[in-house]
Amino acid sequence: MKKNSPIAKLITFTVNGKEFTRYVIQSMLLIDLIRDELGLTGTKTGCLEGECGACSVLLNGAAINSCLFLAINVEGHEITTIEGFSTGEKMDEVQTAMIQNGAVQCGFCSSGMAVSIKSMQTRSRNESRIPTRHEIQKGLEGNLCRCTGYIKIIEAAGEILNK
Amino acid sequence: MKFNVISPKTKTDLLKAMKNETYFRFGAGYTDLIPEMKKMEDIGYSIINLAQLNDQTFRNIKRGQDVIRIGTLATAAQIVNDEFIAENFPVLHQAANCLASSQIRQVATVGGNLCTASPSGDISCALVSIQAQCEILSESGNLRLIPIADFFIGPRKTSMKNNEILRSVIVPINVKHHEVHSGFLKVGTRRSMECSVVSLAYHILTDKKAIIHKAGIAIGAVAPTIRYAEEAGNFLLGKNISSIHPDDSELFANEVLKYASPISDLRASAWYRSEVLFNISKSILE
Ligand SMILES: Cc1cc2nc3c(=O)[nH]c(=O)nc-3n(C[C@H](O)[C@H](O)[C@H](O)COP(=O)(O)OP(=O)(O)OC[C@H]3O[C@@H](n4cnc5c(N)ncnc54)[C@H](O)[C@@H]3O)c2cc1C
Ligand code: FES
Ligand code: FES
Repeated sequence: MKKNSPIAKLITFTVNGKEFTRYVIQSMLLIDLIRDELGLTGTKTGCLEGECGACSVLLNGAAINSCLFLAINVEGHEITTIEGFSTGEKMDEVQTAMIQNGAVQCGFCSSGMAVSIKSMQTRSRNESRIPTRHEIQKGLEGNLCRCTGYIKIIEAAGEILNK
Repeated sequence: MKFNVISPKTKTDLLKAMKNETYFRFGAGYTDLIPEMKKMEDIGYSIINLAQLNDQTFRNIKRGQDVIRIGTLATAAQIVNDEFIAENFPVLHQAANCLASSQIRQVATVGGNLCTASPSGDISCALVSIQAQCEILSESGNLRLIPIADFFIGPRKTSMKNNEILRSVIVPINVKHHEVHSGFLKVGTRRSMECSVVSLAYHILTDKKAIIHKAGIAIGAVAPTIRYAEEAGNFLLGKNISSIHPDDSELFANEVLKYASPISDLRASAWYRSEVLFNISKSILE
């Protein structure tokens, strides 16, 4: 598609620090733009109904569900997916804390969990305030995990957020 | 899922789009709309996309002398983070804070919550208890103001016409020197995420001697629409909130129950909903 139409729209946005300008189908969901068009498959397709959080990405630093978001609405905004966390060989501290705390089993929820923890970290830094354990649990309410029983994930988040 | 989208950036473009399109729906945070559209074979309308609208009246929460104006594009997260609301309208703060998950609160809007007109809309229930007004804009640019109680007219039905959009909700600021006893109780099948089985919003103002001067009570998920339990609120007027007799608490809870016509569904039976409503109603006076 090469021009603006009721079908497609030219938009500019940033993903993992890289700027893109491209025609995007107007009714496309953000999760499909990220996975199918940009090939960033670290963001997972779970329930597609806003319940599980596997599809979470950062929009200007805050976690959202990419399965309930219109792709064209990233116009002018910054998206970070799990692929944007590590730089080269070096993992992000959220990823390291999750591994060290045994917070990853099958891994299906892990990118979404990392995104939610990152979102809380950014917020707590901006507000210079450490969240309570209750607030951490609340911050992870939108992420389901079938394997770990959550405790280790909450501990990994606590370690990061108490820094 | 295929549909046309128009993305107005200004109010003028928005009104123009509302005039030009014959069949359309607004899209704000899309957390109700996308799941709904996904179930449809053929989407026979366009979407007027509000997410890129650059209009401060629609987006901001603004405090005036006597009122707070909440733009309908304000998100649940914006409500949660507003300190004035947290302090003066705990009922609204708590309702926004228990809506779904943090990912959804980031995008879900006040306008979407109201216009979906779900009997279990959390922000809507809080706004009914504080007797907000709805400011509705027509395609010709005219504004009308209606009490929120007249906004919900049936399950998933509002009193808005096709060529109208909800622009703001207007909340009267509490009388000075009054103490605020205000909160939102939601009983669900799971702690968050689930639309409630029963919800109760209360916003009670007392003077320094703890005498109740104003009491707004609203209930959600137990009738076809959110109900304003006016008589229950009236029952409390003139009573001392710190020494309410247990008999009066029960009478109050019975008044609240009169507004409920719960049904049995997947989430809970009618009997369970009534019991829960009775008990949480009593509990706010204990
Ligand atoms: C997993 C999940 C959990 C949820 N949990 C809760 C919950 O706990 N509590 C709760 O209350 N809700 C819940 N919801 C429902 C939903 O998130 C809220 O109702 C939300 O506030 C809707 O806002 P939105 O901006 O996403 O609306 P949208 O989906 O964008 O719009 C909803 C409707 O309102 C119309 N509309 C939007 N803005 C306007 C306007 N300004 N003027 C006129 N019409 C307008 C749209 O055309 C559409 O019909 C949940 C949803 C999901 C997916
Ligand atoms: S895939 Fe988006 S929340 Fe489950
Ligand atoms: S590690 Fe398997 S779903 Fe969380």
